[in-house]
Amino acid sequence: MAEEFLTWVTGLEYWGWWILAVVLIILEVFAPSTLFLWLGISAGVVGVVAWMFPDLLWEYEWTIFAFVSVISIVASRIFFKKNPGVIDNQTLNRRGVQYIGRQFVLTESIRNGRGKIHVDDTQWAVEGPDMEVGEDVVVTGSDGTILIVEPKQ
Amino acid sequence: MDLFVSGFAAFVIVLVLLAIVIVFMGVTIVPQGYQYTVERFGRYTKSLQPGLGLIIPFIDRIGTKVNMMEQVLDIPTQEVISRDNAMVQVDGILFFQVLDAAKSTYEVRDLERAIQNLAQTNLRTVLGSMDLDAALSQRDSINVKLLNVIDQASTPWGLKVTRVEIKDITPPLDLVEAMGRQMKAERLKRAVILEAEGVRQSEILKAEGEKKSAILEAEGRREAAFRDAEARERSAEAEAKATHDVSEAIAAGDIQSINYFVAQKYTEAMKEIGMARNSKVVLMPMEASALVGSLGGIGAIAQEVFGGTGGKSSSGNRSTTGSVPNSE
Repeated sequence: MAEEFLTWVTGLEYWGWWILAVVLIILEVFAPSTLFLWLGISAGVVGVVAWMFPDLLWEYEWTIFAFVSVISIVASRIFFKKNPGVIDNQTLNRRGVQYIGRQFVLTESIRNGRGKIHVDDTQWAVEGPDMEVGEDVVVTGSDGTILIVEPKQ
Repeated sequence: MDLFVSGFAAFVIVLVLLAIVIVFMGVTIVPQGYQYTVERFGRYTKSLQPGLGLIIPFIDRIGTKVNMMEQVLDIPTQEVISRDNAMVQVDGILFFQVLDAAKSTYEVRDLERAIQNLAQTNLRTVLGSMDLDAALSQRDSINVKLLNVIDQASTPWGLKVTRVEIKDITPPLDLVEAMGRQMKAERLKRAVILEAEGVRQSEILKAEGEKKSAILEAEGRREAAFRDAEARERSAEAEAKATHDVSEAIAAGDIQSINYFVAQKYTEAMKEIGMARNSKVVLMPMEASALVGSLGGIGAIAQEVFGGTGGKSSSGNRSTTGSVPNSE
């Protein structure tokens, strides 16, 4: 059994790698944990290498496989950071950010940098320059449970 | 069976295993609506945002999976004594959202229990400072008070409490019954008062009507009297004018013409007297000749008209009447 496995491992041709890649990607479809995907990509890459260098040692092939697996993750991470694609709703689950740019009326004077505004049927603590009750403010940012405001120009 | 694996081959196999482990442990998919805290050697370093997250295996560890969606928390039913010593059962509901995953994980140990207890104790505080009637009728203000307190208290935990609502305030049964009776009595009182008001109004209206009608009647009588007086004045004036006209005519004409009229009346009067039935009074002229005298007046007129000797005035135009009782 082990011997057979070892011969299978050592005797992988380039199409063998590609079969492995496809099988791994199919596995990914059924168990979406984005785990087999990287291994599959890696197997595909090794398949290309094995096709270009048919007499490469299997140890090197598997080493390449191991490294590419890890590198592909990092590379994809970098790629997605640079090209996030179209995200429909940037402010999803980011309560404070949703209010940026909106104007509200102070319900409590800002003293020592802290005050309150009334936002859509609830209260928010705000941070900004000292102002009196009733003045209009514009939300410019959010910091956890505190909104950062500026006087309306 | 003897299986020889060279050192390099063994190393490669281990390397592959390591790669698989790294892939397994290092890649974290964070679903939308969650944030995962990352601990490096047990110390919090960052929160993974939704999407593909990478951590360094063996060094980093996923700490807590924090739900960043708005969540609903029931405030369980509890007994509260209001300011006027009514025992009521109160339960509520609370909406909150975690805005800072790290704070909600590390600043407080059992977040939900903490919020729940905070809400419960504050519910007691707020309701305990109110009368039952106020508590039943001013839920809005209670909600606002609770929200303020709980929101401020939970700020260090990276939470935003968006709503606190009281669901039910249930007074004990006998109190509810008493409230019902009170309401019924109030309504009855209002009804009775309204009825009395109605009666009063109608009486006033009736009296006013009567007053008005009396006034109008009096005015009518006054007006009629005025008119009557005027009529009398007018007729007197007319009589005076007629008399005046007659006297003027007499002054201008002959006395004998008067005599003619008088004689006519006289004879007519005599006829009337004669026709009166069962009259106990018989009117007779003192002198029967007076009647003849009046006839003489007619003669004189005739003479005057037909160019005879005129100007003879008949004697005794006066007719004196006397009453002669019938002696039986």
